[in-house]
Amino acid sequence: MRAYRALLRKDLLLELRGRELVPAMVVFVVGALVLVRLGLGGERLAGGTRAATGLLWVVVVFTSMLALVRSFAQEREHGIWDGLLSAPADRSAIWAARASATFLFLGVTQAVALPLFWLFFLQDGRSPSLAVLAAALALADLGVAMLGALLAGLVSNVRAREVLLPVLFLPFALPLVSVAVRMSVDSIPPQNGGLGALQGLGFLALYDTIFALLGWALFEYVVED
Amino acid sequence: MSSPERTPAVRCDGLTRRYGERVALDAVSLTVAPGERLLLTGGNGAGKTTLLRVLATVLRPHAGEVAIDGHLLPRDARKVRPAIGYVGHEPLVYPVLTARENLELYAALYGVGRERIEQVLELAGLDGRGADPAGELSRGLRQRLGLARAMLHSPSLLLLDEPTTGLDEDGRERLRGVLAAHRGAAVIATHEPDWFAGLEHGRLRLAAGRAA
Repeated sequence: MRAYRALLRKDLLLELRGRELVPAMVVFVVGALVLVRLGLGGERLAGGTRAATGLLWVVVVFTSMLALVRSFAQEREHGIWDGLLSAPADRSAIWAARASATFLFLGVTQAVALPLFWLFFLQDGRSPSLAVLAAALALADLGVAMLGALLAGLVSNVRAREVLLPVLFLPFALPLVSVAVRMSVDSIPPQNGGLGALQGLGFLALYDTIFALLGWALFEYVVED
Repeated sequence: MSSPERTPAVRCDGLTRRYGERVALDAVSLTVAPGERLLLTGGNGAGKTTLLRVLATVLRPHAGEVAIDGHLLPRDARKVRPAIGYVGHEPLVYPVLTARENLELYAALYGVGRERIEQVLELAGLDGRGADPAGELSRGLRQRLGLARAMLHSPSLLLLDEPTTGLDEDGRERLRGVLAAHRGAAVIATHEPDWFAGLEHGRLRLAAGRAA
């Protein structure tokens, strides 16, 4: 636990001092939402609130890619992997800390994105349930962060990692995102989500549990050369 | 080298390691007794760094047998990591973090108390520079920080890859002091074998991945 806390502190300090990820993610998410608003017409968007909610998730997925492709960048660029891998601490702590940091960065980005989404697209009184959307985002972020940290470790020493990571990530993330989109869309009145939302949350929690176990068990081997 | 009844600090028997098709280490065998300091020499690309990285449990051996303190690698890697202090080509520290923050991170990874951090900063001649970002330290001071990091947990086996690189006279004297005081074994890759006169117990020359 001490190793996990120290590694998480390190990841947060690196971002706080380097400001590499979160500003870029916020700029991207704001830019994407503004572009959609200006280009497609906001509340008059064809497909209305349902289409806007789907677009929000597209923006969320691509924002998360920004965070994932820079995972372990410092370790790679400064040859620090050898220091971490030769230490006796459980290597899974490296994965857990990276996933936790990514989860926090996604949370910060979405704290900016959600109000904008409401402002730009949901002025006609029909909006997805905030509780369902927030729960779906939290569970999806957790899954994305855990899966992403595992895959980022896997490709960290591969030459074409910036290309390979999205190619590996998107198919694995597809079930997660499609269920989260369905839950969010189904919570828009006159539908109220209800049982479907609970089933969706259950699926997201199961997905997160599976990738928590896989990440914890496999990270040691995926970073081994 | 080692007396027959003592478990060697390091034993390699036919160690082979490849990078794709290229053979970096080709059936290398060596033994380092407890307390022995072995110099690895050889030109660039001879396999010195690869050998040290295998011993540091960073790389898996592809063939042959490798044991540290009698524990086979990679099977027992977790058991031997607390005994190893590794200084690589790079100092293995985060440039954005201060020297002290880097050492705090590694102290947590090695389960070492924070009080040891000030001791190794002083040992490396970095007392007073602990609050400086590692990236703002000179090459030589970063190398000292790498040495401080490797000595944090008082390892019984030191693996040093060109440890004199970038060090000024004071840094070299401190390195000499660290090696002279170190009671455990050490494997040191160097292009300056003469500098280690009086500190070494044996040499192994590598050429194209083979013991020459």
